[in-house]
Amino acid sequence: MQMNKAIENLQALREYAVKQGVKATLTLHQEDSHLVRLANSGVSLNTSEALSRISVTTYGENKTATAQVMCDLDDTDSLFETVDKAKGMLAFASPLSYQPTFPEIEKSSQQQAGYDEKLAHISNEDILAYINQATQGLESEDVQLSGNFSVGATLVVQMSTATPHHVAWQASDAQITLVLASLQDKWEINAEQSATRLNDLDAPAMRARLAFLKDKYQNCPAVQLPLGPCRVVFGAAATAEYLNFLSFLGGDGGMMKRDSSINSMDDIGKQKLSPQVTLIEDPACLDTFAMPVDGYGRAREARAIYDQGVFTGFIWSQSAADEYGEQATGHDVMHRSFRLAPGKTPVNGLEELSRMPRDCDILYVPYLHYTGLVNASEGLITGTSRFGALLFKQDGSVVVPYNVRFTEKLGDLFGDKLQWLSTETCAYNVSSTYDARDPEALVVPQLMCCDNVKVEISNQSY
Amino acid sequence: MAHTWKEQLDRLMKQGAAYADVRYYPREDSLSMVMLNGNMRSFDKQRESGFGVRVLADGAWGFAASSNLADITGTFDKALSNARAAAGRMTRPIRLADKEVLSGRFISPCEEDTLLVPLDEQAAFLRKMDEAMNKPGVTQRVAYIMALSRQVEYYDTEGAEIYKETRELFPSIFVKGRDVGGETQGRSYSPPRMGNTRGWEIMQEAHWLGEAERIVRELNETLVAPKCPHDVRSVILMPDQMFLQVHETIGHPLELDRILGYELSYAGGSFVRLEDFGRLQYGTKKLNVRADALLPNSPGSFGYDDDGVAAQNYMLIKEGVLVGAITSRQMVTEANERAGREIFGSSGGTARATSFYRTPLERMTNISVDPGQDGSLRDIIASTEKGIVLSGDKSWSIGSNREQFHFANDYAYLVEDGQVKEVVRSAAYKGDTLPFYNSLSAVGDRSTWEVQYVPNCGKGMPSQVMQLGHGVPVCRFDHVKVGE
Repeated sequence: MQMNKAIENLQALREYAVKQGVKATLTLHQEDSHLVRLANSGVSLNTSEALSRISVTTYGENKTATAQVMCDLDDTDSLFETVDKAKGMLAFASPLSYQPTFPEIEKSSQQQAGYDEKLAHISNEDILAYINQATQGLESEDVQLSGNFSVGATLVVQMSTATPHHVAWQASDAQITLVLASLQDKWEINAEQSATRLNDLDAPAMRARLAFLKDKYQNCPAVQLPLGPCRVVFGAAATAEYLNFLSFLGGDGGMMKRDSSINSMDDIGKQKLSPQVTLIEDPACLDTFAMPVDGYGRAREARAIYDQGVFTGFIWSQSAADEYGEQATGHDVMHRSFRLAPGKTPVNGLEELSRMPRDCDILYVPYLHYTGLVNASEGLITGTSRFGALLFKQDGSVVVPYNVRFTEKLGDLFGDKLQWLSTETCAYNVSSTYDARDPEALVVPQLMCCDNVKVEISNQSY
Repeated sequence: MAHTWKEQLDRLMKQGAAYADVRYYPREDSLSMVMLNGNMRSFDKQRESGFGVRVLADGAWGFAASSNLADITGTFDKALSNARAAAGRMTRPIRLADKEVLSGRFISPCEEDTLLVPLDEQAAFLRKMDEAMNKPGVTQRVAYIMALSRQVEYYDTEGAEIYKETRELFPSIFVKGRDVGGETQGRSYSPPRMGNTRGWEIMQEAHWLGEAERIVRELNETLVAPKCPHDVRSVILMPDQMFLQVHETIGHPLELDRILGYELSYAGGSFVRLEDFGRLQYGTKKLNVRADALLPNSPGSFGYDDDGVAAQNYMLIKEGVLVGAITSRQMVTEANERAGREIFGSSGGTARATSFYRTPLERMTNISVDPGQDGSLRDIIASTEKGIVLSGDKSWSIGSNREQFHFANDYAYLVEDGQVKEVVRSAAYKGDTLPFYNSLSAVGDRSTWEVQYVPNCGKGMPSQVMQLGHGVPVCRFDHVKVGE
């Protein structure tokens, strides 16, 4: 996967498009993906995919049309055919009520700050060594390992026929999840890690977390929690899950115009969340696999969506801005880069949380499974705890709770219910592997404490 | 290309592979058109081609895929080396259940291939739908078409040669509005699969205009309705909700790979254990569920799976008792070994991959509830003392072992003493899976039975989406918590 070669490929395609008299944007996406999947303490699948995609969007008067192809990049006939197809489709595109802005990239940009060849092409042997180190001595006949070690590289090049300039971006990424589960009792605990470089990999930290949780799950009594309100400390995965919803339900202008937002234009400048909440979209934050230049060639800048709880305004993609007469904010990127600023409570891990003085029971929920958006305009989210919940009792003891379900509003969790945030943050990888590789992470405080979170379903067993 | 694939497979066997298969997609074409408030926000054609190789060597799986036909040998070698590396951490060597070696073809039934319908005709259809939904009360409207055409060639080292050609069409319309409380409500329509086709011929304008009028009317009823009460009632699930209930709390927990722990790190496990087969009272005696991959009109029917096994129709739950699972060659062998008895005779033929660059997994086919003997919707309502009729899947969230669930619905109305009462808004219900199905008190007859489809079932790592179906009647469950 060579950036220069990819740029040359796309330039050739651009020249063809120009010769055809087509007004178009052209995007090349290449991925080298490698995933080792574990189940029942063995490798259940070891897979590699080398895939190349070309996308061509043609522009006409109040119209666009897109043709995409996944094929061999040296198959120029297929690539040229994609331009022809997009050109041909334009005649049949239904007119829009607005004129889409055509990208005119003014300056070429090549970003490789987040690319580490050593991580991108880590060997099978090194992956297995990491897994073995992270789980050393923790598996047994009953306690078995599952997980995923997903690693790879992504290369994206964008151009338009307006100028010969390009925006190119390459990143390496790893998303690691290791799960220990009891075959007999069916409990599950996990440890996760996000990496941008090989040096980020930290198998001992993964092992320490798994060992701590395993000890508790094997030695502490298990209980069914009562229904009703409780104090909950969310781990990074759960916080990131809620924050992901908040970022688009709270901050995306297009979502607001489509009646799927918890904010309106009238909310700009108002105190909407707790003063502890500062949510920033930060294209300089490499841990989020940030893209510092967008597809229109705009250099992106950090921007607070919520500044100490005050809603500062919406993010507008170019297409939403065109449709609704707003100003685009430089967010036409494959993924955005959100980070929630840290808080003031110096409790940053499970050990510290377990030692923290407390005046009531504290339910630790590291992870939310299968969250559902019950109502977008209310910001109402439902989901169940998973992977290592603990109940730190007021009397200092620890018990293991069966999974519970919460259905809560984002405005409450990040508003009146928010008690404190940790002083340290971490990157939580939220990449999806459904489609083209697109590494994405949120930076969140290690822990987030909320009060009066209502348990509405409480399982009777694991 | 057949000669090339067979030559490569032979080469891997000579290098020590125990088994290998290759799926070559000469082409997969898709089209999506999304009209949002009258604007064609997405008009997109995609083409994919490439191949994926799966190799079993030293007891472990390796897989490699590429869109680059210039590197066939390198990709086959990569799959083999991945298998050998995987064998370095293996606890149970993989063995495949025997199968009948097949040479076959499957062409999905279709009268008019959507991808051959002129684009202006399709765009005009969407515009008509958009205009039909552009009515008072509606603040957002979406008309959507996704069509695909896929060709797959399959070869394996046991001698199977299979060609598949599948065409699918997934259309829908959707409206949203703001209710009297200022919250967003929605209503949608995706057509059930009745008849014997998967093509553009289902897009009958008069029918769709009628459905557009209906969803707008029902949205407006919801916008001014009181909130759904929080209490315990009988829920009467219409097919456009029952399919999702079945999907999430029967289909997924009965995938054998989930039961055996192969999805623990992502999608989750299952409350079902191997010892439950033949014994577990999953539901009342009214519950009969089958995995039917032979329904001609559904995306859950595919001719042959990606293990090269023929599609089948078999029971999962018979008179409420769990009797079967969603199975593949690898998992039936492992399940029988782990159980110490033969639970499964052979593969159920459900291993499917979403694309050439993903590996086959246990996927639902058409997980269908047989029609019952409790009459029509009207009959079921008439015999309900305190209930609520629920329609339209608004949101869903399920426990990691599929042991409990929470669903919200677009459209609902109360039933009191056998009579239909008022429409309510923001309806939702929740429960625990086994008690829920053991409260099944009525199953509608054939007149209530529809084949609903799921175009985007997610599972696996790397993640995959799959298309499948559910034939379901109207069903009633008692003593269910409703409300938010």
